[in-house]
Amino acid sequence: MDKKKPVSEIRRGVIVFLALAVLTAVEYVIGTNEAPTIFLWVIAILKGALVLVYFMHITRLSGSEGGH
Amino acid sequence: MTTPATTLEKQAYKIGTARIGLWLFFLSDSFVFAALLVSRFYLLGDKRPHLEQGLGLIVTSVLLISSFFMNRAEVQISQGNRKGFVTSTLITMLLGIGFLVGVVGFEWGLAPFGPADGVEGAMFYMMTGMHAFHVLTGVVFLFIILRNGIKGRYSPEKHWAVEAAANYWHFVDLVWIFFYPALYLIGRV
Repeated sequence: MDKKKPVSEIRRGVIVFLALAVLTAVEYVIGTNEAPTIFLWVIAILKGALVLVYFMHITRLSGSEGGH
Repeated sequence: MTTPATTLEKQAYKIGTARIGLWLFFLSDSFVFAALLVSRFYLLGDKRPHLEQGLGLIVTSVLLISSFFMNRAEVQISQGNRKGFVTSTLITMLLGIGFLVGVVGFEWGLAPFGPADGVEGAMFYMMTGMHAFHVLTGVVFLFIILRNGIKGRYSPEKHWAVEAAANYWHFVDLVWIFFYPALYLIGRV
């Protein structure tokens, strides 16, 4: 059971990375085709939120998770 | 008398305090980057610097991939996989150096303006320069944890320095997530 957690964390990292990659590709297409700027801001905020929550683990600040 | 339980409690308290300190640093540092971002839009408005789009996408992808490996390194050390941690940290470091080469080595050389050539040049070099300096310090931080990791100083129970280095690296990536569209995509050339 204990071994399952790290594996799922790595899988989650892959999923977040793929989401960031797709969003970056969409951002590039939107930016180079002069679409409304608001879309670029929305994508940047989404990407930022993914990094904050899943890579930087901002939720650790409010709990006792990962007291190593 | 110190029991194992109280030692663990003390350790958790120490990490919790250090974590708050680190995030306060992120908060203060983000004001610097936010000021640069606001300055870019105040001074350049709807105009963007003439830059190599392909190169911008490449360096952005390199930084994104480095963040993935950094996350992987942190997970690996938390599960006691020292070899995996060393490999992932090394890859992250190399990608960080690749990013620096791409921005400072190529983009700065290819840009059709210098730092003293008006507002456009000033903003571009200030934003990329300040960010590149953070990437450089991140690479140094990664080198330190890599060396300590090779020496076996981290364990699944004790690897706060790895968490701090990883968070710093992701913070640098987070800044670029906003700088990339601001410099390369938003506005007209």
